[in-house]
Amino acid sequence: MAGGPASGEPATSGGAAPHARHAPHVTRGDVLSRVLSLREGSIIVVTLVTALYFSLKTSTFLTGGNFKTLLPYFAPIAILAAGEVFVMILGEIDLSIGAMYLFAPFLFYKLNSSAGIPLVPSVLLALLCCVAVGALNGVLTAIVGINSFVVTLGMLFAFEGLALIISHGEPVETPGAQVHATEEKVPHVVNGHHIVLVEKVNHISTFAKIFGAGTYSEFIWALVIIIVLQVCLTFTRWGLYTVAIGSNKLGAAEAGVRVKAITIRNFVLCATTAGLTGILEAVRAGSVQPDPAGANEILFFAIGAAVIGGTLLAGGSGTVVGALIGALFLGILEDGLVLQGVNANYKLFYLGLAIIIAASVGVYVSRARRGHNSG
Amino acid sequence: MADASLPAEAVVPPRSAPDDVLRVEHIAKRFGPVTALRDVNLHLKKGEVLGLLGDNGAGKSTLIKIISGFQKQDSGKMFLHGQPYEPKSVDDARSKGIDTVYQDLALIDELSVYHNMFLRRERVHRPLPLLANKQMKREARAALDDVGINIPRIDVAVARLSGGQRQAIAVARTVNSDSDIILLDEPLAAMGAREGAAILDLVARLKEEGRVSIIMILHNYVHVLQACDRVSMIQDGAIALDKPTAETSVEELTDIVVDEYRRARIASHEEATAGNGAGADSVDR
Repeated sequence: MAGGPASGEPATSGGAAPHARHAPHVTRGDVLSRVLSLREGSIIVVTLVTALYFSLKTSTFLTGGNFKTLLPYFAPIAILAAGEVFVMILGEIDLSIGAMYLFAPFLFYKLNSSAGIPLVPSVLLALLCCVAVGALNGVLTAIVGINSFVVTLGMLFAFEGLALIISHGEPVETPGAQVHATEEKVPHVVNGHHIVLVEKVNHISTFAKIFGAGTYSEFIWALVIIIVLQVCLTFTRWGLYTVAIGSNKLGAAEAGVRVKAITIRNFVLCATTAGLTGILEAVRAGSVQPDPAGANEILFFAIGAAVIGGTLLAGGSGTVVGALIGALFLGILEDGLVLQGVNANYKLFYLGLAIIIAASVGVYVSRARRGHNSG
Repeated sequence: MADASLPAEAVVPPRSAPDDVLRVEHIAKRFGPVTALRDVNLHLKKGEVLGLLGDNGAGKSTLIKIISGFQKQDSGKMFLHGQPYEPKSVDDARSKGIDTVYQDLALIDELSVYHNMFLRRERVHRPLPLLANKQMKREARAALDDVGINIPRIDVAVARLSGGQRQAIAVARTVNSDSDIILLDEPLAAMGAREGAAILDLVARLKEEGRVSIIMILHNYVHVLQACDRVSMIQDGAIALDKPTAETSVEELTDIVVDEYRRARIASHEEATAGNGAGADSVDR
């Protein structure tokens, strides 16, 4: 159920089989410390506990229907966080994802409605614009040498402003996401009698089904993106160099890693996933809202998901799967509190606590990984 | 002794031998107001181990970084196997057969021993771009055994290792890279006596094989005389001595350094007394 994705979590080092008894440095809580020594360990435990709590407290949490409700809470944040992880591992930060999230769907709308470009090419062009912004972020950070927080803060304001300018502050209908209602004869069985009623049935286009409006569409996008990016992070040179730069930038450069190129590439990835998320959300909702405040909130949820998922803001360490679980935790928290009928304001409070706890556990975990305890 | 009292401007001129693999001529490098290298001439014969000595800040590491392609000289030329050598990057230098162990080791704390060993030379499952971790582990283990340093586990992050073990990994990485010129910037720093001896043994073995040529920055004169064929001393951004180790001694090397200090003290005295006159601004700057 809700904890499902957590159980599919690949262990980072499966080498510590039963014979690992020769290494006497693990003295207490063998299993617990092994789970916790995963980067994602603490958030897996916290998410499971939260899910368990809500399943016991409410009768509706552990149902298939509720899982569907849960999806739009966490899938978009998971995609945003996955891109952000690649920038955070470098030891940088990208705040402009909030602006890409807001700007890309408006650009998509303009390209389709005003310029008359077909749907899919419009999406691709809008994403291309995100690529360009990401590249600019990367160039200003890696080559010009401006702090990435400052660069992307400027870019955040600039492109949120641009989104307001091109939309004139008015919400618009997302192209390709209109619902067509047709009248159809639908067979029913009432008290053993077969009857046929004429009902309105809503249809959405294939485009909309793929790009966010299908029930599982965003979830599938999120899963695919997370699996691909986690594989890139763990099993390719790109991921290795990303960690290397975040861990020891000078050393990586001395070893011949192309620090600037990798930095630019990761900012491009981050901006593009953010733009894609914005478009998916716009198609799902059926309209694009000119709401910078909402975009900023999403931005910080994404960074929060990455942090509580086990990615260090200081760089050198991170996990995409952890970001997914972090986003899942946020989703469960929001959904569970709604089901409980608790004031949604509690969500922020609990989220704040969760970030602080996760970060504290993270310090312990990274000490254990580096072996300062076993000295 | 007579050599040692030369004025600082008298530097060793460019020399060469027919079997030079690397020649460095008139290299100069400034960092803003600081002159790191004034006029450095150096040559390295095939199979030779050249010890590079010099004070802190004399410019040894800068010279190594220029040869290894990490930094670019302001002026001067380098020749590799007689051909002009202008490395565009560390990768470029490496592809031309020059590899380096930097003073700071260029190790990545968060990565495992074997990933560090293969950084920038990763083995992948062609045609897929996925890392061939098993193969790298196997080859890394073999390379470390070859160096003769015992690293119990090679899948742990290098942050967990001792200073000496880290150094050994950095050296093994470079030795294992099929380069024919190896630059070692203080390979014995942070090492215990036994680990240091293992590295010197490795250098001796490489010398015997005669395949690679080595430039090694060292501080310990005994190590220099023991491990190197020839010694060059950098002083004040230029080479002040260039001799086969057989023709020099710990005493001579020490005398040069003592003399350098004496000259430096006199020079600073003269500058201070001349400071009130015409040269006032040049002294201040």
